[in-house]
Amino acid sequence: MIGHTGSGKSTLIQHLNGLLHATAGDILYDGESIYAEGYSLRKLRSQVGLVFQYPEHQLFEATVLDDVMFGPKNLGLSVEEQKERAITALGQVGIEESLFDASPFELSGGQKRRVAIAGVLAMQPKVLILDEPTAGLDPQGKKEILGEIAKLQKEQQITVVFVTHCMEDVAEYADLILVMNHGKVAFYDTPARVFAHKEELKDLGLDVPQVTLVMQELHEIGLPVSADVITLKQAKDQILRVFAANASSRDEEVACDA
Amino acid sequence: MREITIGQYYPAESVIHRLDPRVKLVGTLVYIISLFLFKSFSCYFVVAAFLFTVILLSKVPLGYILRGLKTIIFLLLFMSMFNLFFTPGDVVYWKGGPFQITDAGIRNAGFMALRLILLIIGSSLMTFTTTPNQLTDGLESLLKPFKKLGLPVHEVAMMMSIALRFIPILMEETNKIMMAQMARGASFDEGNLIQKAKSLVPLLVPLFVSAFRRADDLAMAMEARCYHGGEGRTKMKPLRYQSRDYIAYVVMLLYLATVIFTGKVLYL
Repeated sequence: MIGHTGSGKSTLIQHLNGLLHATAGDILYDGESIYAEGYSLRKLRSQVGLVFQYPEHQLFEATVLDDVMFGPKNLGLSVEEQKERAITALGQVGIEESLFDASPFELSGGQKRRVAIAGVLAMQPKVLILDEPTAGLDPQGKKEILGEIAKLQKEQQITVVFVTHCMEDVAEYADLILVMNHGKVAFYDTPARVFAHKEELKDLGLDVPQVTLVMQELHEIGLPVSADVITLKQAKDQILRVFAANASSRDEEVACDA
Repeated sequence: MREITIGQYYPAESVIHRLDPRVKLVGTLVYIISLFLFKSFSCYFVVAAFLFTVILLSKVPLGYILRGLKTIIFLLLFMSMFNLFFTPGDVVYWKGGPFQITDAGIRNAGFMALRLILLIIGSSLMTFTTTPNQLTDGLESLLKPFKKLGLPVHEVAMMMSIALRFIPILMEETNKIMMAQMARGASFDEGNLIQKAKSLVPLLVPLFVSAFRRADDLAMAMEARCYHGGEGRTKMKPLRYQSRDYIAYVVMLLYLATVIFTGKVLYL
């Protein structure tokens, strides 16, 4: 999910697990309205895990393990189960066992972020929603966290929704992009098709990935590359192909001359 | 809890907003004194009429002001109940164990509630119409005489304004942390009193941590801009009384005289 600041991304995702109540319309989970009478919002919140912006600000327990156990505890699980889930979740985000008994306030920024994400993962949600999960992290930490989430999505078969301001991340990880503008959906499509609307995105205060800009320019000066490339890998493949084609045609010319 | 309007600034273009903050501070003090001078309904009528006029002049919507009262409703009920059931009096309407309802009890409860409501509305009107910066300036200037006695006037004023400034920020933060914990399955309104108190731990710990973090950041930002206390600090907009401020002082005196006249001379 992308959109300029104040476009309503955070507000929208807080509706998805019933933290905010919509004034109009309905939200369906597994075909059931979450606004129906007697619908358990607590159960919904265990299935639709929401990780807020700067989630490390919600840490409060004395140890890392206890903090991650808070979610499962609220689900009413036994202490053994709480512990088991917490350990699994911490493993999923790459927190070493030596840190389990540390105070969450002693950790580095990146580690705190992981622990906080584990706090939501420990509820074993079927849908994971993350509001700018990498804001304020260094490139290395950013890559690791996004990689871990992508791995989770594949291995656990969960749906992941994430908000970001980084177009490169969207291009690399997202299957679908939802573009928000003034509280409304501006686009909802595959990355390649959304990024084809370069001018409209600019008007919305957004951009396309850097590599797409480069490829579009190359396309405009007449090189045989497609303009809808969005990831570095695709771009590399295409450019190498052009080089290879040029090289082989030059070889032919040399052969003719001879 | 999330709708605290007390202590917040309500921007509007009005005479009251434009008044010198010193006038408003002194005015609020005079108003509070007038509230406690007498205990008669006619005096409270004068006070209420004065307050209502000022509210109209200030252009702060009445609904917005009344919303601030919601937060003290519990305290209000509690105090009125105490007065109602425990005041001995001449005419006893009902008696049961240590409890009794008397004519004096009803009067006391009514006065207490009225006084508290008028007090809260009156003093919050000052913060509604005065920015924290103005308030600090006014307070500092009014307290200047105490500087000779060694009171760190500037620092006290600065602390007060920072505290006021932080109310809305901490409210927002509370809201955010509450939501984040609710997303982890926490609930804040279930169970008995002990369970409720316990459920506040996941809210209060992060809130304190963030308050300290913000205080650190603020101190850093102030130092980065060379803040070093009040010594030798000049003002960009020094406070100067205008003619409307003198008029306001006169109005204040007239008001106080009216209250005393109604209470002392008319015996109403």
